[in-house]
Amino acid sequence: MSALIVNDLVTNYGHVRALDGVSFVANSGEITTVIGANGAGKSTLLRTISGLEKAKSGTISWGDVDITNLAPEEIVRSGVAHVPEGHAVIPTFSVLENIEMGALFRRRENSSDVKVAISEVLDLFPRLAERVKQSAGSLSGGERQMLAISRALVSRPQLLLLDEPSLGLAPLVVEQIIQSINQLCRSTGLTVLLVEQNANTALAVADHGVLLALGKVVSDQPAATMRADSALRTAYLGY
Amino acid sequence: MNTFISTLITGTANGAIFALAALGLVIVWRGAGVVNFAQMGQAMFTTYIASNLITSGNSYWLAFIVALISGSLLGMVIDLLIMRPLAHKKSSSATKTLAATIPVIASLGILTILQALAGVFWAGEERGFPTPVNSFYFKNGAGTLPFSAFNLFVIGVVLTVLLGLSYFFTQTGVGLGMRAAALNPEVARLSGIKVSRMRTLSWAISGAAGSLAGLLITPSTNLSPNSLDLILIVAFTAAVVGGLDSPLGAVIGGLILGIGISLVTTYGSPENVFLAILFLLLAVQLIRPNGILGGKQVRRG
Amino acid sequence: MVFWVESRCAVDKSKKIWRKNLIKTLTLGLFLFLLSFTFDAYNQGQLALVLMLFIGVLSLTVLTGASGQISLGQGALMAVGGYASASLITNMGASIWVGFLVAIFTAGLFGLILGTAAARVSGPYLAGTTLVIALALPSVANRFESLLGGNVGLIVDFGSPPIWISNLIEVGYEQWQLWVALPVALTALFFTSNLMAARAGRSWQAVRDDEIGAAVSGISVARTKVVVFVVSSAIAGLGGALYGLRGLVGPSVYPVSLSLTLLTAAILGGVGSIAGAFIGTLIVVFLPDLIDWVISGMALSEQISNYLPALLTGVLLLATIIINPAGVMGAHHHRKH
Repeated sequence: MSALIVNDLVTNYGHVRALDGVSFVANSGEITTVIGANGAGKSTLLRTISGLEKAKSGTISWGDVDITNLAPEEIVRSGVAHVPEGHAVIPTFSVLENIEMGALFRRRENSSDVKVAISEVLDLFPRLAERVKQSAGSLSGGERQMLAISRALVSRPQLLLLDEPSLGLAPLVVEQIIQSINQLCRSTGLTVLLVEQNANTALAVADHGVLLALGKVVSDQPAATMRADSALRTAYLGY
Repeated sequence: MNTFISTLITGTANGAIFALAALGLVIVWRGAGVVNFAQMGQAMFTTYIASNLITSGNSYWLAFIVALISGSLLGMVIDLLIMRPLAHKKSSSATKTLAATIPVIASLGILTILQALAGVFWAGEERGFPTPVNSFYFKNGAGTLPFSAFNLFVIGVVLTVLLGLSYFFTQTGVGLGMRAAALNPEVARLSGIKVSRMRTLSWAISGAAGSLAGLLITPSTNLSPNSLDLILIVAFTAAVVGGLDSPLGAVIGGLILGIGISLVTTYGSPENVFLAILFLLLAVQLIRPNGILGGKQVRRG
Repeated sequence: MVFWVESRCAVDKSKKIWRKNLIKTLTLGLFLFLLSFTFDAYNQGQLALVLMLFIGVLSLTVLTGASGQISLGQGALMAVGGYASASLITNMGASIWVGFLVAIFTAGLFGLILGTAAARVSGPYLAGTTLVIALALPSVANRFESLLGGNVGLIVDFGSPPIWISNLIEVGYEQWQLWVALPVALTALFFTSNLMAARAGRSWQAVRDDEIGAAVSGISVARTKVVVFVVSSAIAGLGGALYGLRGLVGPSVYPVSLSLTLLTAAILGGVGSIAGAFIGTLIVVFLPDLIDWVISGMALSEQISNYLPALLTGVLLLATIIINPAGVMGAHHHRKH
């Protein structure tokens, strides 16, 4: 039973302390959502876990492996995939190339499974399957987000870090994407750490909620409880 | 008419060589964010190595292969020993202004060192360099044809290399990884691609491309520590004209410059070549700074 | 962001800076003047060379240190000044002092043209373009053979000291070179020191540090870049005119390596620092002599000793840029206000 254990994590962003002693546990097979206002440190948290930012102190462990401050390339190989915010795809690559990029490092040991993984991910997002040869730059926002997620999924992660997948997307598309993730999580036991601005949508689908404010964990509860807590919402999320 | 055709063919052959050199510059620019002014210095150095192998009795082809291998090794060494440490340094306020140009200045330092080393090892006197096939114009029954076997060789070799590189970058995993690392290093790292390894590979490929260009052009320029300086200028102009971000642009730019210089030399006067190059460079930067095939994005200095 | 607060304090402060710079400049001048009496003829000539190249390096200091732009063509701009001055002297019999003025003006004009083009271009593109300009120089000289002396060039020299001086004291040729170079170099030094401290200099640094912030504060970024080019080129032209007086103004006198030498001096001494420019020039001029002296005791082949100075200079440049890019003078600058 592997879990993501974040312990007393401190990360600086320039002169600002973006993460000021963050601790929580994301259980295996569950969707844990990290919510909070802008600037609370949510993105920095994901970036520190995936190795893009260096932690000043504290530890991150996934399963039994300490992945604190490892290089991103190694963390990916430990089964952690990060979809950064802003549908990060390479616009001049085709849809297929963007997906293949995510599986490159597995090609050597397991090329047949790579093919299977690619076709699975295209089954999950049929709209991408239709546009396999198109350049990623010509896709709509929602399709690009699906593509970014596909790139991460094709590495067969056990932990998926999702940074604001709903950003700039229409509610219907967001719903579609979130449901695909939910379905994937329930059927394969994928652990998901979901950062979201849209607390309602996130808490509706998550098992566990972590509320961040100014780099600190303010609340850590089952999602349903957090969702019902209107005082918390008003104080930290402004609605 | 024959003069015109031979001018065109010489121009194309030279243009192919310039395309190769320009491509080397573009590969390092895309893969590492550096305009490597030392590239043709590296090529000069490896051509000297080849020249010494030949004069001590080895075959041209052995020297050819050694030059290419040492070219890629030299490129890798420059990345590992100089460029990577440079990239890791934190910048103080005084150096922030220079941040983008520090690698350029470093490459100029490397160029100076390579040229001085070549002088120390092999002296500054000019020496010739052989061609593997005849460089005299073909003779048929009626007279001479406007091209030589060497012209064909050059065009053939460069074409093969270009096709090979094109296949490598578009159809292989490593090629895809290199392109990804160049276009979006962050997403590439998150995909498990070892970006710094890809960067070193860019230097290696570019080093080999430069060395090949050196081997092909030195028969006409002769060999001395400074013999390839002008080729650097032409390659740089070709890359800028074609678009520093575009490999295809580098090839097109190289051909434009090759044929253009050939025409100016034959129908104008050789002294005007530099003026023509300068004019072309200024015109491109004024009219279309991103080059013919360059993207529309803001150019990062 | 840079915010400008104009107050009486600023005005008084700049008057104080002018005075301080004047004293510093005159002290240096006096020191060098007295020093010249203790040097032998060869070293007097070398010191004169330092002063001439120093002006060239100053032009690079202004350009790079003040505005962050890099040029590999300062040698070509020196050549412009040299040619302007020399052609006036040879063809119209003007004095060298008039030649200096013409050099400043002409090079400044070229700087205007170059600056307008350069405003759109930056970094490696600018470096490469200025390099090509430096290379195209001989071709330009050849086009105007009668005026510019073609491939060989124009012959000019420092002349001899005026009667009233030679009556007082005997002045050797190299010493006279030094005495002519000294006031010219000191003028350039004084001008540049005040420039960097004055309002113009500060707004240039604003552009260098934060283009967007500067623009928002009302500074015209493009115009600033052009002005910096003009000033830098004018200074280079002055240095070039002086440099040419060593005997010849021609393509062989201003090769590409001159531009590289100036850049090396600027980097070694510390980019953006005037004191650094002087130190860097001292290194670049006297290091080859020092190396020659050191290896004269060793039995090295001519081949090695020919290229050793260039090798060591290159290594020094590379080492400086890797280990301490801010050069000898270190980071003594420019915080944001």
